[in-house]
Amino acid sequence: MIPKNSRSVPLTLTIWGLAAIVAFLILFPLWWIFISSITPAGELFSKPVKYWPAHPTLDSYRYLIKNVGLLPKIGNTAIIVGLSILIGMVISVMAAFSFARFRTRGLSIAVGFLLASMLIPDVVTARPLYDFLRSVHLYDTYTGLIILYISGILPFTILILQNYLNDIPVSIEESASIDGCGFFQSMFYVTIPLLRPALATVCIVNFITCLNNFFTPLFYSNGISVLSTAITQLPLRDNMYAVPWDLVSAMGWIIILPIIIFVAIFQRQIMEGIMAGGVKG
Amino acid sequence: MYASKKYWMIAWILVLPALLIRIFTTIYPIIETFHISLFEVKLLQGIRRFVGLDNYVQLFHDSKMITSIRFTAIFVVGSMIGHIVLGIILALILNMKFSGQKVLRTIVLLPWAMPMVVIAMASKWAFNNEYGLINDFIRRFAPSFNLDWLIYTNTARSAVIAVDLWKDLPFFAILVLAGLQFISSDMYEAAKIDGAGSIRSFFSITLPLISRNILMLSIFFTMWRITSFDVVYAMTSGGPGESTALIAYRVTTEAFTNLNTGYAASIAVVLFLVMAVLSGLSMSAAKRVDY
Repeated sequence: MIPKNSRSVPLTLTIWGLAAIVAFLILFPLWWIFISSITPAGELFSKPVKYWPAHPTLDSYRYLIKNVGLLPKIGNTAIIVGLSILIGMVISVMAAFSFARFRTRGLSIAVGFLLASMLIPDVVTARPLYDFLRSVHLYDTYTGLIILYISGILPFTILILQNYLNDIPVSIEESASIDGCGFFQSMFYVTIPLLRPALATVCIVNFITCLNNFFTPLFYSNGISVLSTAITQLPLRDNMYAVPWDLVSAMGWIIILPIIIFVAIFQRQIMEGIMAGGVKG
Repeated sequence: MYASKKYWMIAWILVLPALLIRIFTTIYPIIETFHISLFEVKLLQGIRRFVGLDNYVQLFHDSKMITSIRFTAIFVVGSMIGHIVLGIILALILNMKFSGQKVLRTIVLLPWAMPMVVIAMASKWAFNNEYGLINDFIRRFAPSFNLDWLIYTNTARSAVIAVDLWKDLPFFAILVLAGLQFISSDMYEAAKIDGAGSIRSFFSITLPLISRNILMLSIFFTMWRITSFDVVYAMTSGGPGESTALIAYRVTTEAFTNLNTGYAASIAVVLFLVMAVLSGLSMSAAKRVDY
């Protein structure tokens, strides 16, 4: 906003100060969750709050692995998120390609429908969908959950990919067909490789979306437990502080640590993905 | 390119999986929601009978519902004022060139990437009077400070809004930043030559140019707020009493805990209609503000 060369020392310090406040407000609570997770349960309830435990311990983490079934939850999450993204991307590329390249009657209505369906909130459809899933035996199954996860990422993904495809000139495919490529050949060998940067960006954003999906596993599964709901399912202890804060913070940290690392690595792509969705949406 | 008739089948086959999934997960259930909203369905008592619009009439006389509607309004307005004012300030900070800018942008992404449940669970602990982070912090400046945030209506509501802001305001700021980056620096240089200070150029250049962006973002963020549910689910469970039960939270408790399916459906329908009106408004706003 202000050209760099004209900046005075007090102004620079002000900017640094503001940046530090923002960083502190975001990072400090995360640090505090981490500290709580390695503090022994008894020591957690001490006044004033300690920001470094006297006797750090990994007990909470051990407890989660042994008694709360952390590893199966991680496994379930990996299966569901992995397959949802994989299948979801294939379905999205197909639809986006069709929307961007074909002009057939009714297709624009289909686009409109897909976009409009984004506006239907999860809570509105929850109960009938729950009953329906039970009646077709998809409740609490991997298949059912994966279908719902895919459904959640479809509209955004198709929108972004379609925008991106519109910018790729059709003439590239035309020249491929002159060179003897069939329709599917030119789609696979010419267009999709050009989509790669958009695919990477969308994949990364969808990964976060699926990982954080709380609504779907909360209402449409019971036995199949994933990480995002695990934090609300921790066993209560029957003392005066019924909520097991040591376990809550350990579980919280297990969920957010991979996310922090992931965001640090893919910062640029995530930013692009968010902006592509946000500015045009 | 592929306008010729023989491609229409390929076109539809490519779209079909996406369409089927969305019809199965949204269209069928929403029609069913409208349908059961006309019935009194109480699964626990095994009741199911047609009652017409009675559920809707009941909804506007139910004191719990009125509390919910009121708090949802407070939540949306409070949170959105915070988003817009603080979001613009944060976006301006993020838009400045300074060493460490990249690091700050990464940090700002973190709350967006985290699940709300985790944040809401941790907040419940953070707002604890005796052992929580928030009061400990305040006590460093005011040692006698004592307040149990989550047991009084007003403070619990403020806490919920604060947590919502912590989670989503950085994301809002990033999207405002996207708008800011479209403004060419020529304009600021021209304004500077004309003698405008930085405050003047903010109000005369920056704000008007991002106003459309802000309007659209506000509409989307408002819609997300209207349907949010996980923050109160994990943080207050709607309490104290019913004071933080957002409408979306009420729908799920009626539908899954109290098993008043018909009544829950009527609330859901009202929620859906509000969303439909808002999105209609947003579309006409988008057309009008375009320049």
